Amino acid sequence: MFGRHIRHQVAGLLDGELPLAERKRIEDHLAVCGLCRAEREQVRAGMSMLKHLPPAQAPDTIWNAIEAAWPERQQRSGAWFRQGFRPWFLAYAALVMVAAAGIAYWTRVHHHERQWEVVKIQVSAGGDKEPIRKVAGVGPGDWIETDAASSARIRVGQIGSVDVGPNARLRVVATSPLEHRLTLERGEIHAKISAPPKLFFVETASATAEDLGCEYSLKTDVQGLGVLQVTLGWVSFQWKGIESLVPAGASCRTRPHAGPGVPYFDDAPEELRNALENLSGERSFDTILRVARVRDTLTLWHLLARAGVSDRVRIYDRMAALTPVPADVSREKVLELDAKTLTRWKEALAWTW
Amino acid sequence: MLRLGIANLVVAMLACAEGFTFVIGSPVASQQFQFKAATFVFRTEGCGDAGTAQVSATAEGVLKGERQSVVLKVMPGSKPGVYAVFQSWPAEGQWIVNLKGTCGNAHAGAIVPMGPKGFIRESAKFFPHPATESEVETALKPLITGAKK
Repeated sequence: MFGRHIRHQVAGLLDGELPLAERKRIEDHLAVCGLCRAEREQVRAGMSMLKHLPPAQAPDTIWNAIEAAWPERQQRSGAWFRQGFRPWFLAYAALVMVAAAGIAYWTRVHHHERQWEVVKIQVSAGGDKEPIRKVAGVGPGDWIETDAASSARIRVGQIGSVDVGPNARLRVVATSPLEHRLTLERGEIHAKISAPPKLFFVETASATAEDLGCEYSLKTDVQGLGVLQVTLGWVSFQWKGIESLVPAGASCRTRPHAGPGVPYFDDAPEELRNALENLSGERSFDTILRVARVRDTLTLWHLLARAGVSDRVRIYDRMAALTPVPADVSREKVLELDAKTLTRWKEALAWTW
Repeated sequence: MLRLGIANLVVAMLACAEGFTFVIGSPVASQQFQFKAATFVFRTEGCGDAGTAQVSATAEGVLKGERQSVVLKVMPGSKPGVYAVFQSWPAEGQWIVNLKGTCGNAHAGAIVPMGPKGFIRESAKFFPHPATESEVETALKPLITGAKK
């Protein structure tokens, strides 16, 4: 599905040097490949930073290093090398300096991107108003734990932050520029991510929250009973092939050995939310279809893939009654659960969410 | 022959822009993470080539009893015809966003009222022309009345 990655063409793409057909192929690939999108954003950021690097004076010691690296040429050219080719030599040295500065800058920035930092906030025993703050760097394998009287803020590289509530325990799994991942064993976090989608992941015992450019709260217990509440953007909530796409203003519960449930808007009718709690009940399904509003097509759309064929027909009919079905979304394809058709319908429905 | 061609072209342009209007939605509708913090997003509909439509927006409001108008920067999305509006008007006061669009000879307008929790979809009004001054004032009235209560 993803084809070959386009890492080597990214710079050419950003510089506008690629022919149209090649650019189209790469853009198509970028549309489906999170890794390459992340790579593009990094290169773009790097190019932008390099543009703003100030010119630097080469230190005298650089001549020794360069001359030492070219002993043969030095012997052959002698004084001629020093005098006659000095302008070229200067240009070369300047180039080396710019490259070295660029590499140093990149290394520093990338190191900074990888760096996670924790600010621990603990209310002192005396009940002082000003909390005690401790700052520490964390990396893969490190655990972060808060007690009843403390909370923490984690700075996730340069892509965002995670607020950790009291009585929470989580582990840092990955902190690379292409993947920031943590495991939330118990407790509640609030994540605020400002990076391209699919760079930040939070695992719980029963589901993984994949950032699609968002801000959300996630609460879970050790067994995996939890709830995700999205305040900005989208989150993909997944477990063993089950996926719930949760937009801003909606929530989704997750259960041990069952994974993420069906998302619902926080302002959905109480009857609908209660019925979702007990989906196996015969009347629950009828209730959901009866009380669903246009906006609740979010819930109905997710139910399509989780219902039997006969129920799927009822869901489709209810959705079609609530809001017009786009001309390019065929009933037959929807009932077959054709992925492309369902995505197209979801994108159209999202204008009502 | 040339006249016939031009006439056909005009008819085709008019047909393309038939039913030219705006559709508004929450930022998630744009499917674009850069727009997640937008106040709302909108798209043009009924414009043959969505990329050719011209759109603009102003925030019209009343702040401390004074009528104000703020020109807004409309951000185009990656999909042609999709745009985002970010709040650049004061947080206080009562406001509506006035959208204007043209596609060939066709025009579209929309008034999107703002509430404490963002845009009020149910109260949005759509027109086959740019909203008139009186339509803007009419849309602002209930917001001002509501704020006084």
